[in-house]
Amino acid sequence: MPEQYAIEMRGVTKTFGSVVANKDVDLTLRQGEILALLGENGSGKTTLMNMLSGIYKPDKGEIRVDGKTVSIDSPEDAKRLGIGMVHQHFKLVDVFSAADNIWMGREKAGLTLKGDRYAEIGEMVKKFGFDIDPKKKVRNMAVSEKQTLEIIKVLYYGAKVIILDEPTAVLTVQEIEKLFEVLRRMKENGHSIIIITHKLNEVMEISDRVAILRKGEYITTVNTADTNEQELTEWMVGRKVDLNIDRPVVEKTRPLLEIRDLTIKNDEGAVAIDHVNFYIRGGEILGVAGIAGCGQKELCEAIAGLRPIQSGLMIHKGDNIVGLSPKAILEKGISMSFIPEDRLGMGLAPSLSITDNMILKNYSEARGPFVDRKGGREDAQRVIEELEVVTPSTETPVRRLSGGNVQKVLLGREIKAGPNVIVTAYPVRGLDINSSYAIYNILNQQKEAGVGILFVGEDLDVMLALCDKIMVLCHGKVMGVVHAHKTSKEELGLMMTGALDLTNKYEDKPAGYAKDTNITDEELRELEQREGEEEQP
Amino acid sequence: MEMNQLGVVTTFVHNIVVYNIPLLYGTVGEIVVEKSGSLNLGVEGIMAVGAIFGYIIGCYTNSMAVGILTAFLFGALCGLLFAALTVSLQANQNITGLTLTTFGLGVYFFVGNGLKAVAWPAMNDYANIKNGFADLAIPGLSQIPVIGRGLFSHNVMVYLAVAVALAMWWYLNRTTPGLRLRAVGENPGAADSVGINVKRYKYVHTMLGCGIMGIGGYYMALNMSGSFNSTCWINGYGWIAVALVIFANWNPALAILGTFVFGFFNTLRVSGSSLAAAFPGTLGWLAAIPTQVYQALPFVITAVVLVATSVRKREGSGLPASLGLNYFREER
Amino acid sequence: MRFHVVKRDNCPLWKKLCLYVLAVAAALGLGALVLLAMGVDPAAYYYRMFTMGMVGNKIAYKTFENYLKVFVPLALTSVALSLAFKMRFWNIGGEGQFILGAVAAATVAFKLGPSLPGAVTLVLMCLAAMLCAGLYGAFVAVLKVKFGTNETLMTLMLNYIALYFITFLGETKADWNFYLDPKSVRPIFASFADIVSFPKIPLVGKFSLNVCVIFTLVIGVLVFIYLKYTKHGYEIAVVGDSAGTAHYAGMKVNTIVLRTVFLSACLIGLAAAFKVGTAGILSTAITDDVGWTGIIVAWLSQMNTAVIFLVSALISMLRYGSTIAAATFSQVDSSFANMLQGAILFLVLAADFYTRFRVVPVQKGGKN
Repeated sequence: MPEQYAIEMRGVTKTFGSVVANKDVDLTLRQGEILALLGENGSGKTTLMNMLSGIYKPDKGEIRVDGKTVSIDSPEDAKRLGIGMVHQHFKLVDVFSAADNIWMGREKAGLTLKGDRYAEIGEMVKKFGFDIDPKKKVRNMAVSEKQTLEIIKVLYYGAKVIILDEPTAVLTVQEIEKLFEVLRRMKENGHSIIIITHKLNEVMEISDRVAILRKGEYITTVNTADTNEQELTEWMVGRKVDLNIDRPVVEKTRPLLEIRDLTIKNDEGAVAIDHVNFYIRGGEILGVAGIAGCGQKELCEAIAGLRPIQSGLMIHKGDNIVGLSPKAILEKGISMSFIPEDRLGMGLAPSLSITDNMILKNYSEARGPFVDRKGGREDAQRVIEELEVVTPSTETPVRRLSGGNVQKVLLGREIKAGPNVIVTAYPVRGLDINSSYAIYNILNQQKEAGVGILFVGEDLDVMLALCDKIMVLCHGKVMGVVHAHKTSKEELGLMMTGALDLTNKYEDKPAGYAKDTNITDEELRELEQREGEEEQP
Repeated sequence: MEMNQLGVVTTFVHNIVVYNIPLLYGTVGEIVVEKSGSLNLGVEGIMAVGAIFGYIIGCYTNSMAVGILTAFLFGALCGLLFAALTVSLQANQNITGLTLTTFGLGVYFFVGNGLKAVAWPAMNDYANIKNGFADLAIPGLSQIPVIGRGLFSHNVMVYLAVAVALAMWWYLNRTTPGLRLRAVGENPGAADSVGINVKRYKYVHTMLGCGIMGIGGYYMALNMSGSFNSTCWINGYGWIAVALVIFANWNPALAILGTFVFGFFNTLRVSGSSLAAAFPGTLGWLAAIPTQVYQALPFVITAVVLVATSVRKREGSGLPASLGLNYFREER
Repeated sequence: MRFHVVKRDNCPLWKKLCLYVLAVAAALGLGALVLLAMGVDPAAYYYRMFTMGMVGNKIAYKTFENYLKVFVPLALTSVALSLAFKMRFWNIGGEGQFILGAVAAATVAFKLGPSLPGAVTLVLMCLAAMLCAGLYGAFVAVLKVKFGTNETLMTLMLNYIALYFITFLGETKADWNFYLDPKSVRPIFASFADIVSFPKIPLVGKFSLNVCVIFTLVIGVLVFIYLKYTKHGYEIAVVGDSAGTAHYAGMKVNTIVLRTVFLSACLIGLAAAFKVGTAGILSTAITDDVGWTGIIVAWLSQMNTAVIFLVSALISMLRYGSTIAAATFSQVDSSFANMLQGAILFLVLAADFYTRFRVVPVQKGGKN
């Protein structure tokens, strides 16, 4: 008799329009194991799991739960079969309390809402060994709290099989450790777990077996103990890859952009960036590390002139750019590209063609009342060729391109304009390894051409390899600027949580002050004066 | 105050209630629909459809209860149409709602004019309807001077409206299905992921809300004593209801108060001259204001409220986060 | 066999056309059932409606003129609204903007018409209508960009305020009220058709073309070029697609919104000027619901100017034809057109689903 698996997927295929997301995929999950589902971004991991959780319906194929063939038509079906999924983008109602987010999916919840539901949920939370206030509103929760809530929710509904989609992406090193403890405990209690990830070190640490997908196709499943990172990478990417990112040594110039005492508020009016100092030289990449939402977005927007600042100086080549319009800042050669989580929100107009997106920043330079699409088309053609963008034509709406190609279009446009400062946030978000390396190469080429680059990133391993220096933010404050080749992931992790403050590590000057500054004394005096006024209203 | 003046004030207060009630049905109905995440701009048409069928069938059966049920049923049918198009067929909500208004008014005049050409049922010929719509004093409370007759001596549909509003408030905020409905309107993806049947919730509540609107239409028909002419019975009330939802911050209980403001100005239009006659010294100027100003005032006030609410963005707004957006589970 | 719904990448044009034609045919079929139930021969009714009684009619040229009078305001209003919709600005205040435009144009006709040459008066009428309607629209845009006021509901309220304004003018007998006919005891609007009206260009026989029709077509072409090839049109597309991106690219988003909404409302005012300048009289029902119908026309045409003209022509045929048919078939009320229009739109919206999605069967099995 063949082994009875907790989950068995056979020949599962799923297409979206002309895109094949999963092709003939087989997957097995043993009872009480942790299975890592490994694959690059865009390899179809989430799609495959969404078919288990009832979000997507497969075009073809069979799913067996505990040996029985089932059809999972809705999340309700999945819940009944004991399958629970913690999605990467949390599925929580922001205005509800923690308890209500759980209560709303309870089977026999009765007609009226009673006050004792808080106590009941609170007890469950304790029983599972977590710590969360049932009355706390989701919108007031930190990311890790939301994730805990999602896990509690899944457990509360009695899931035997738990799927976690990239759970570590939003957590700090220390929080990841805690999460892994939770997962191990759940495994001891007899739960079977699938964890989606593309980080090899995590696979090695937590999983019993690894299943690998590549470009939507199933490659293999191996015991974690019998493999190593290099082998896994080759399966994942399909060939031998050099996992080293280059860090060319370039002669640095005087600071191109200096930020002094910068304070910015976020949309809610809270301080997002708190008296921040740093500078970028030509020919260097300055990384910005920090947990999600600690002011990266606001910083990028302020430099691009999209967000008013509260106080501080932003000196570009000796000129103060505070208060300039986004257009004027563009003309000074400062380029900003920000890849938000939905990857299309800022910098591109998704329904417009590649050509139309190419001319976004210079359309007004054309003479007369008409736009110059001819020039745009040529630029588009050049970017498509040079960066190997896969697209049917220059007139294809950007929305129809795959993630990597979208980002190439965006970066291609930015570089084409010949900037001297590039601010780029999450440029490899959601990209596969090859596309990511293509982007790193582009950035390194720019660095060698003398451009100063501010790189806001997520993956510490990448930042350690690519950046010259790394600035760490925690709740809008700088925790220090460290040399990438002299620091470690652990040190950065401690700084990100605020446990370690290295702002005064070097005695001659505080972090973020350039020795050969372009800021004049007059400007500094003005800054001091203005701050003095603010303190005495 | 002389007896005459007292009488005028009493009538005035009474009329405020009379005029705010159809709006209350419309507003509460729209709140229920919007809480499910659908912005339905078809209120005007739905109320008209509910009104015409409710009135005709109510008269033919000589039963107000049948009239109310019919109005509810036809309103709910309009809701079914709206839900089928926007929920199952993913059509744009604004366009579907506007089309529903065109269609509803078309049906209203088509049926009404068609029947009028043959034989129009006059409300006075149907004793049960006429008496059913007569005022019913609440013992005790109605004895209080001015507000007793003003607030506690009304036809049964007035009490029903208040009961429906309070019931809907309770349903939305104090019951599990209400909690689930709010989840659907806030974040259908989250609701779906915990096994709430999003489609069913949207269908059921769109139909329930539209049915309530239909009753509001029926009320207007009876309030006009069923006289059918070229001006629609609803006459823009549906649109005010859409705006009142914002005014009431998506809270059915607050809608009771909100509709009073609008009833007030409508009453000024009707009884302004009698107020002016009763208080020539202080309120004499009321008579000089053209009726169209009173007619326009509810819209002016709604406009002002709209601007005011957008200027100071409230914490704890009842606006459902996914209002106006269709939900497609397999969205990527 | 189980089915599920998936998104389409794109849908070939012929398929779209087939679906839409099918939807219209189905709606007409439903209408035919209603007609049959009333004892009316649907074929005869539809024939009368779609030919608008022009076949074998000695005064067919009159009918043609009247048809164009319905067509021009609808087409121009829809084109105007498409400007705002392209920017995802929900201007549903076409009704109100149209009314203000009409009143402004009539004011010029009454006050200046007698003393100025006809052509000058007409130009001034157009300009006044455009300005008033434009400002009425821009007012909402200002609130939108300054406070984020919901434009859908705001324009809606302004529709009714404008409606009661024109009702006030039409129902108030007073010395100052020059809009009313002084000879009548009851308040009715005065005609200025003798003072000024848009000229006609003779065609074949008695058929002629009002200059407004030509202007409307020209404006349609201009708007098409404006949206597709100019910097302004490009800005509208970007703002509509993603306001954040527009801001990021250094566009002055607020200015663009104001300018576009103003322009959109201006053109609606122009449509109103064409309407009153041809009719020679105001009316409380001057808009003929073009503010509402135009929204649906613009949306269904997906803001494509050429399609807008086609759809407007069809809907005008439906609306005007049904009033003609109502004269012959007295048992069918002219509101049948509204119902039919509603049914057509519902079915077209339903058909639209099949252009965006596919329903496919779920297959079993895999490789083993």
